[in-house]
Amino acid sequence: MRNVIRTLAFIGLLSLSNNLLSQTKNAKQVLNGVYAKMMTAKDYTVMANIKVDLPFVKMFPVNAKIYFKQKDKFKVESKSIAIIPRQGFDQLTRMLTDTTSFDALISGNEKIGANSAIIINVIPSSDTSDLILGKLWIDNKRNIVLKSQLTTKSNGTILTEYNYGKQEIYGLPDYVTFTVDVKKFKIPKSVAADINNSKSKTVDKTKNDKKGKIYLSLSDYQINKGIADATFKK
Amino acid sequence: MIWKSTYNEFIKIAAKPRSYIGIGAITLIVGIILMAMKLDGMMYISFITGPFEQSLSFEGNILNGNLMAFIVLQMLIIHVPLLIAFVTGDLISGEGAMGTIRLLLTKPVSRTSILLSKHLAGSAYTFIVLLWMAFMAIVIGKMLFGTGDLMVLKSDGLVILQEQDVAWRFFYGFLVAYLALVMIATLALTLSCFSENSIGPIVSTMGIIILFTIIGTLDVPVFDSIRPFLFTTHMAAWRSFFEDPLPKADIWNSIIILVIHIVGLLGIAIYKFNKKDILS
Repeated sequence: MRNVIRTLAFIGLLSLSNNLLSQTKNAKQVLNGVYAKMMTAKDYTVMANIKVDLPFVKMFPVNAKIYFKQKDKFKVESKSIAIIPRQGFDQLTRMLTDTTSFDALISGNEKIGANSAIIINVIPSSDTSDLILGKLWIDNKRNIVLKSQLTTKSNGTILTEYNYGKQEIYGLPDYVTFTVDVKKFKIPKSVAADINNSKSKTVDKTKNDKKGKIYLSLSDYQINKGIADATFKK
Repeated sequence: MIWKSTYNEFIKIAAKPRSYIGIGAITLIVGIILMAMKLDGMMYISFITGPFEQSLSFEGNILNGNLMAFIVLQMLIIHVPLLIAFVTGDLISGEGAMGTIRLLLTKPVSRTSILLSKHLAGSAYTFIVLLWMAFMAIVIGKMLFGTGDLMVLKSDGLVILQEQDVAWRFFYGFLVAYLALVMIATLALTLSCFSENSIGPIVSTMGIIILFTIIGTLDVPVFDSIRPFLFTTHMAAWRSFFEDPLPKADIWNSIIILVIHIVGLLGIAIYKFNKKDILS
């Protein structure tokens, strides 16, 4: 009887490890599909309308031109002051470039709007990696990322939601929403020379809200037209 | 007659070397600020944007002429009153000390007219000082740093105003700042009526400004009820033009309080000057 139990436990463990192995493989296959689609756009420029909704910042929407070249060249050009997340457009591509640098696991399915998505957790293989944890919601049929949550040592956690339009064939979104963590803003009155601002003492519940959103409406994509490397030099 | 008298008073101000100390000081201070910002301005900016820098990136020309003008205005608006008091605190008492007040009052002009002439001349001097400051801050600032959106620095947040939305705010901001400085000029002139030498009114005006500024700056609840009545609180009303939405009620409140101060102090000055026994 004891031998039978041992045999069954062994078979169970074997099947679980096989299952995990195949799941890892599947997750990486899914990510490879997404990456392959992303790589069809070697470079692009796009006009962006940036709307910022951050707890400690008041500003009007601004227009900017975004330049991107695979795999990690990225530049925002704006006459106005624009605020964008540090984990901009290149973070995902950079992460997916080297599939050996992380382990990926499918952790479930979720419905995002009308689309069903596979949830893939990305865990870096190295301790020294900037990425701590990645979570991607991927439409497996269309090979596009619907949502991503990347936690990095340098930039904190950023949740990104993507909506696609005409440029879906390149895996490029038309509308992106970033949700970012913002530290409480407080600079000395002497630095701001804001000596008579007593309003800051009044309790404003929205000021304690440390989540902020940045909305990017993207239009007029120019894809694979070629962008010189000099464009990205500051 | 009052205009001629005002012209004469203005000539007297222009003839005094001390009148140029303020303009010289502004030139020097603004020059130093602009040079320091040109060399190391991004450090100053990163100190302000620091709390956001972990997750957000600021793009565009932040360190521009509009920001420089704002920084200069907010740094100097505390100190320029001292330079104004240096000249306007001398308008009556200086003449008393020199013994020319007796001669002045022999003219067929009422004492009230003479005092109002001195007030108008002092206000004109104040306007020139502020205009010079605006020139240094805005024109030289834009020449050195270019133009762009204005990042308004507040202790509890940032307001980013678009470039095309800034000029009118500076215009009205400077107008309200001018009103505040005229209030200081009136205070110094009023104190000048009570003294026979220049040092007293100048130091007294400076002392009052410093005292009120310290009370206004201290975040102690006991001063909360006093703070709205201090003129120094309303001297910073120009900043309200750089808020969005515009706090019109607060701005009007500050303008009214400053005007009440000007009229009240001028009333005291006229009363005192008319009753003053000229012994020098």
